[in-house]
Amino acid sequence: MSFKRKSTSKTQSLPGTRPSPGSIATTITSTGIPSLDDILGGGLPLSCSLVIAAPDPHSAYGELVQKFFVSQGLACKQDVLVVGSNLDALDWVKSCVWFHNPTSSKTTLEDDVEEQKPADEDQKMKIAWRYEQLKQFQTTVGSTSVSEDFCQPFDLTSRIPLSIIDSALKSSQLTTFNVLDILHSVLPNSFSTTQKVLLHIEEILSQRSSRAPKVPLRICIPALGSYAWGDLCAQDILHFLYRLRSVLSRHPLSCASISMESHISANAWGGPGWIEKVGWMCDGLITLDAFTTNPSLSTLFPSHHGLVHIHTLPSPHTLLPPSDRFSTLRGLSVSAVEGGNSSGENNLAFKCTRKRLIFETLHLDVEGGVGERRTTPAPLTAFDNDSHISSPGPTAALPVVEVEVEVDRGSEVKAAFSLSQNDTEGNPQAEEAQVPKSRSKKPKKAVAFRSDRPDLYDF
Amino acid sequence: MSLSSSFDLLDIPKDIILLITDQLHSPGDFALYRSLISHIKQNQNQQRSSRLRVVISTGQHISRWDAILAKSNVNLSQQIAAKTVHFVDMSSSIPQAQTEVKGEKGQGGNPFNTLFKKVASLFDQFETTATEHDTTHRGAGAGALVILDDVSVLEWIGYETMEIVRLCRALRALCIKNQATLVIRHHIVVTPGELDPLFRHLYSLCTYHLDVQPLTSGRSGDVRGQVALHHGPNAFSQSTTTAVKTRQRSSALHYRLTDGAAVFFERGSSRGVL
Repeated sequence: MSFKRKSTSKTQSLPGTRPSPGSIATTITSTGIPSLDDILGGGLPLSCSLVIAAPDPHSAYGELVQKFFVSQGLACKQDVLVVGSNLDALDWVKSCVWFHNPTSSKTTLEDDVEEQKPADEDQKMKIAWRYEQLKQFQTTVGSTSVSEDFCQPFDLTSRIPLSIIDSALKSSQLTTFNVLDILHSVLPNSFSTTQKVLLHIEEILSQRSSRAPKVPLRICIPALGSYAWGDLCAQDILHFLYRLRSVLSRHPLSCASISMESHISANAWGGPGWIEKVGWMCDGLITLDAFTTNPSLSTLFPSHHGLVHIHTLPSPHTLLPPSDRFSTLRGLSVSAVEGGNSSGENNLAFKCTRKRLIFETLHLDVEGGVGERRTTPAPLTAFDNDSHISSPGPTAALPVVEVEVEVDRGSEVKAAFSLSQNDTEGNPQAEEAQVPKSRSKKPKKAVAFRSDRPDLYDF
Repeated sequence: MSLSSSFDLLDIPKDIILLITDQLHSPGDFALYRSLISHIKQNQNQQRSSRLRVVISTGQHISRWDAILAKSNVNLSQQIAAKTVHFVDMSSSIPQAQTEVKGEKGQGGNPFNTLFKKVASLFDQFETTATEHDTTHRGAGAGALVILDDVSVLEWIGYETMEIVRLCRALRALCIKNQATLVIRHHIVVTPGELDPLFRHLYSLCTYHLDVQPLTSGRSGDVRGQVALHHGPNAFSQSTTTAVKTRQRSSALHYRLTDGAAVFFERGSSRGVL
């Protein structure tokens, strides 16, 4: 006898949604970014709010996430409400992403991998031949596992057609309003900007509820706390997020995605524990910490643009967020499947390619980075327990590279390379090239652990 | 049932004030749900007359309570219809404007007066109803449970710390008078070198303090966090028939979450995992 999971007809009729894998009582919808959906446990649950904090002032990754969010809503025929602040809301919507070509819109993760492919990858591996047939190490998830009805493959090089926007406006699928317009509303001056905006959102939701809507509503606030919102204090922001979550819980067919301005996203802005307080006031909080202000991180992780910090995740009907069990990127579900061999959560990062915004796992490179290939221990850097320097002994057939630079009168630089084979007794010249002639003895150092022994923290 | 017999919320005596503190990476809401589920099931198992349960929620919607309690075979809607559980959603009664939160000038008074009077009236109504059914019955509120979730949010959105403390004190006095249990949840926001003033006040009221903390090594697939149970300042002033075994942080129990409950196990053991 096979058992079928019960699925309500209500969830099946809502466009662009599906039941959460963790709980059939939870209906989820896509954010427009498949890897972000994976982090959330399949998608953003209806009646939940997601806040994206992007503290980097030189980039707009938080706003970029909102563009995917709005585009996904319009593409799957959901209602969308955009609250404009810096830009006019309608002008902002016009800058949202779209498909590259509707007929060939099935660009998959493999296309992203292709554009990242290094030039020499086609060369056959000479050493690790047994690994030739293995699949390339995958660090993110794509949209191949879900239907396009749930998550469309958007392209950063394409903009949403004006015809789509016009038809959405005419059919009231798309609603926009600006914060500056709300400031001059009839509400008393004792109400702050956030209160006025919230009341307007409540009014829209109430009017919508009276019409018994059959499609979900996405509320998008691309720049909470920008100059248009006026002078906001921490209390205003927290009060806004708190009441918005309360409003969403009373309207289970709606969800919200909010990006905070960079200065508000900083942990020190609202006092000690600011980001934690924001996390308590919403259902999901993720920080996109770009490397722009930290060049050392950019050098350390050249293929990524920032780190992803997960503070809290939506779980409207369960104690355990579905993401803990079903997220491939976070890696917690893997440990549960493999019989409790817990190895902790994966580090996550994001990168913005030419076509996509991708969230993926972050792995540290080998020591020294991929640019440095070391076949012998570095000179005067290897110590063992006896605390003496282990010098690189003679080894067989070690190639030694000598570089000579000649500068002509005509400012031409010629580089002459000479290769010399090292004999079995060792080429004194080669050794000298490796080991400096005169070095003062360094004091003996005690080594905390040995690399040949298992790490204490290796679970 | 907990896998560890040395720690179980059922073992904590009744009519106490339990303060639950948690952090963002280790929410302690499972302890609240467990309190309510245990209270309802214990009443059913012992076939006693119904007891009063009041849940005052500032953040979590009733649908979440309903869904999680259903996983433990407790029908919250039924309990609410039978008026054995009263759910007070404070988020819908939060004032619209910040000036209302701070209180109009000249009016004075605690903004939580209405809330407190509502809870007190629930006790009175319950007492009246129980007396009508059994004229010899007294103290219908005995063994009742009041859950206040959570007080930190009230402070963050603009309510004065002292007003929140006064509400907690008033609820504490009401619960002591009616021999009821009061459970309060408070979020600890990590501030190095500083202790939260609201926490100081709440700690002075509590009988026991349940401390839910995340693992220092970060999230794990099998361990969500750790819990410790401490005596509060009032633990030794009450005559308790049950000796409660406390757990210091150094010997805190680990726990992992399922969809509807938490599973506790000793640190370093695999009882709750494998």
